[in-house]
Amino acid sequence: MDNIRNFCIIAHIDHGKSTLADRILELTGVLHTTANAQVLDSMALERERGITIKAKSVRMPYQSRSGQSYILNLIDTPGHVDFNYEVSRSLKACEGALLLVDAAQGVEAQTIANAYLAIDAGLEIIPVINKIDLPNAMIDECRLQLEDMLGLPAKDALLISAKDGTGVPNLLEAIVSRLPSPRGGVDEPLRCLIFDSYYDSYRGVIAHIRLFSGSLRRGDRIMIKSTSKVCEVDEVGYFLPQITPSDKLMAGEVGYVAATIRKAGDIHVGDCIISPDRPETAAIPGFRRSQPMVFCGIYPINSSDYSKLAAALEKFQLNDSSIVYEKESSAALGHGYRLGFLGMLHMEITLERLKREYGQELISTMPSVIYKVVTTRGETLMIDNPSRFPTAAYIDHIEEPIIRARIIVPNAFVGPCMELSESRRGTLVSMEHLDTRRALLTYDFPLAETVTGYYDKLKSVSRGYASMDYDLAGYRSSDLVKVDVLVKENQVDALSFITVRDSAIPKGRALIHKLRKLIPRHLFEIPLQAAIGGKVIARENIVPLRKDVLSKCYGGDITRKRKLLEKQKEGKKRMKMVGSVEVPQEAFMLLLKMEE
Amino acid sequence: MRGLYVHVPFCARKCSYCDFYSLPARLDLLEAYVQAVVHESHRYGGLSFQTLYLGGGTPSLLGPGHLRELVGGIGKSVDLSELIESTIEVNPESATGALLEAAREAGINRVSIGVQSLSDYELQGVGRIHTAAQAVEAIILASRLGFKSVSADLIIGLPGQTWSALHRTLGTLVGAGIEHVSLYCLSLEKGTPLEKSPPLDLPSDDTQAQLFEQARSFLLGHGFIHYEISNFALKGYECLHNLNYWRGGEYVGLGPAAASHLYGRRFRNRADLDAYIDRPGYLTEDVEELDVRDKASEEAMLRLRLLVEGLDAGELAAKFGRDNIEPLADRLERMAHDGLLVFDGLRYRLAPSRVLTSNPIFAEVL
Ligand SMILES: Nc1nc2c(ncn2[C@@H]2O[C@H](COP(=O)(O)OP(=O)(O)OP(=O)(O)O)[C@@H](O)[C@H]2O)c(=O)[nH]1
Ligand code: SF4
Ligand SMILES: [Mg+2]
Repeated sequence: MDNIRNFCIIAHIDHGKSTLADRILELTGVLHTTANAQVLDSMALERERGITIKAKSVRMPYQSRSGQSYILNLIDTPGHVDFNYEVSRSLKACEGALLLVDAAQGVEAQTIANAYLAIDAGLEIIPVINKIDLPNAMIDECRLQLEDMLGLPAKDALLISAKDGTGVPNLLEAIVSRLPSPRGGVDEPLRCLIFDSYYDSYRGVIAHIRLFSGSLRRGDRIMIKSTSKVCEVDEVGYFLPQITPSDKLMAGEVGYVAATIRKAGDIHVGDCIISPDRPETAAIPGFRRSQPMVFCGIYPINSSDYSKLAAALEKFQLNDSSIVYEKESSAALGHGYRLGFLGMLHMEITLERLKREYGQELISTMPSVIYKVVTTRGETLMIDNPSRFPTAAYIDHIEEPIIRARIIVPNAFVGPCMELSESRRGTLVSMEHLDTRRALLTYDFPLAETVTGYYDKLKSVSRGYASMDYDLAGYRSSDLVKVDVLVKENQVDALSFITVRDSAIPKGRALIHKLRKLIPRHLFEIPLQAAIGGKVIARENIVPLRKDVLSKCYGGDITRKRKLLEKQKEGKKRMKMVGSVEVPQEAFMLLLKMEE
Repeated sequence: MRGLYVHVPFCARKCSYCDFYSLPARLDLLEAYVQAVVHESHRYGGLSFQTLYLGGGTPSLLGPGHLRELVGGIGKSVDLSELIESTIEVNPESATGALLEAAREAGINRVSIGVQSLSDYELQGVGRIHTAAQAVEAIILASRLGFKSVSADLIIGLPGQTWSALHRTLGTLVGAGIEHVSLYCLSLEKGTPLEKSPPLDLPSDDTQAQLFEQARSFLLGHGFIHYEISNFALKGYECLHNLNYWRGGEYVGLGPAAASHLYGRRFRNRADLDAYIDRPGYLTEDVEELDVRDKASEEAMLRLRLLVEGLDAGELAAKFGRDNIEPLADRLERMAHDGLLVFDGLRYRLAPSRVLTSNPIFAEVL
């Protein structure tokens, strides 16, 4: 066990984690030349967007300069704040962490957040300054920031370029010499932590595990500690990086286990696997449950696909334990689910993955945060769906979730960032100068503002330089109202939204206007209205369709005609019937786009 | 029934709304083009045709000599002995006595004139190069020369068009004894000058719809039958060549950009005159062979354009097989139930009020 090193690579987004993983895979001979950059970003969406979404493990052999053989297990983690649950779970499988800092950017908000996660998890940290090949690399500043902002000894930082490989051989030596090996005996009772999983249609649930003690072989009987479910091991193995069976897994190792677990509910990420002969074995303290921040409804376009959606969600949750979901139904959209996400990017990615990986055609509704509604009778209701709001007469007051955001921004952009934050109802908590170049702004503002594009705006007013990290900081009473939307006199529950009273009228008007442009003309007139309670605050009409005809057929070009009609038919398939009106699916997310 | 279409891709000047394949100022290529078409027709040697249609572009630009050469040349390779209808499209400015006489001699019995409007203001607005007077002259000339049928194309929704002007146009045409009228709604096709800078007095869709309705009532009042979405004819003067398109019939298209439907397959010559002259009929595109169900739906969609004849579901079942049209039959039934189609126990028809909003209905049929 002395020759095992389990470590993860953590950093702010885009600081080069996956690129460093490429170099390490090459040096250890797991991959020859990496034809693609960031090979571990294997999901199509990861490749398209150039970001890591899922943490990924790889086991590698390594022979040190002293001739000693080692087994390294690397976990590449995502950098975006929405995926930091992936980071905290990965940390649990490791003894050490490489903390990467982009030499041209310096320490950013997620550098700090992730470093603290690793420190709290008791990991040994190796600070690594990356991208030293860049002409604007600021190595000395980075060292200072590591000391000042994170209390990490600057002299310990390694200098590398993940892109051209400079310094990476030394980094491998540092990994084996500076990171501790795992502890725990092979002869002790079995104890392992499930830190990730996914569903494989042949083998059932594949659980990613870290063994803390004992060993595991095919044919062994195992027990899931939290459910006491006992099953037999079908296969164990390693990630190389593709899953590869092995004879056994030993204490200290990272790998996977398959035990024909078909029911997603039988196993949870964070569970502990023990031996049924030793049921008293203590569980490994799992992870703090992630807390969903934004919620939206999802509905199959075709109502008959509801059960398929249910199955897809169950499997999806195995691979992303940070989403939560429960059934919900809407008068306009039928039966669906309400999903909770860690943030807007998480939502966007999840919806896209559900569509692609599970072939689901979905309508998603405008995201919302959880409001605390205190009724006149003194009850407190937690409401994550605007259509569930009680009528105004029953509401004493409404509170909304507040976040504390830490924003690191170059001095030149402090002004625009403050202006933006204040326009988004933020209150400045503190402002600190980190060095001569950058400031740390701490703001409290409503979480709802992040739903309506605060983060993107922040990036754009700072030309991409601002970085932000946040936590939930409680609830605050606000003057909020619910705006309803009526299409052809019918209230469409899925279009209702909550907003501060002052912006209800402009937002209602803007939404109605956009809807008028989006909903195609029908054969009849369609009045559109926005209303608060019974009071109409905006109104527009969609005039009836008078002309939609292919008149000239020249030389019998029927194919072209048919294709045009087929396109029209395809478009119609993506519409939802709301009463007698066909509403395009984008309608339910319109408010989001309006903020941009 | 099988039709033969010849695409004549020449125009004196491009009209501002036109996205058909036609080239201005390439008349130097006429001779080479005619030979290429004759050459291409050899590919269909032995096939017989009941209708012939010379369309464009501007077939009247062929002039008497090339017209004779074209029809004569084609007639040598394919069988034109059974022709019942033979049409030439002409534009007023090039529909000369000599051309029309040559057409008569070549066996052409129907003339379709690109009148578009009898208001000079409207004509100029879209870059037509003829006057209203020239159009009337062409009609009179064609009637005098004894063609069996004379047809006029009109455009609904020309910039500045009003009902009073359209009413006058229609009155003049009917007075001149026209037997057939095609009413096309102007649409802004991508890339055309009209689309790029639409004039301020371009009638709205609503106005277009209203103009169309008014024109339709006028024509019905003068004994015309609205037999297809854009076509009106006195009884017995329907265009057989076009009817064949809507009935899912076979046809062969010669010339660049011409479309064919033969042995269940649809295809089109590439829209490239130079390449065509080089290797006539070699470059085919958009080849399409639909499976039997899609084919049945396509035919249903086409036949529903025939407002009087409609779609006989039994006939369709006989042609494609009852099992193959089952889902389609269900769709039709539901659409009739929802009032989108009219069913008289035998045939489905498009309600006349839905003519101008027929696309959504056709899309649902497919
Ligand atoms: N010049 C230079 N560019 C680098 C270096 N390392 C990474 N990059 C580039 O930085 C960008 C981000 O690299 P990634 O490896 O995807 O970063 P990441 O930290 O994995 O990003 P996330 O997983 O999304 O948080 C890519 O364009 C890399 O090519 C380096 O050492 N030098
Ligand atoms: S004459 Fe006909 S084919 Fe030629 S440009 Fe005008 S509309 Fe187009
Ligand atoms: Mg990455």
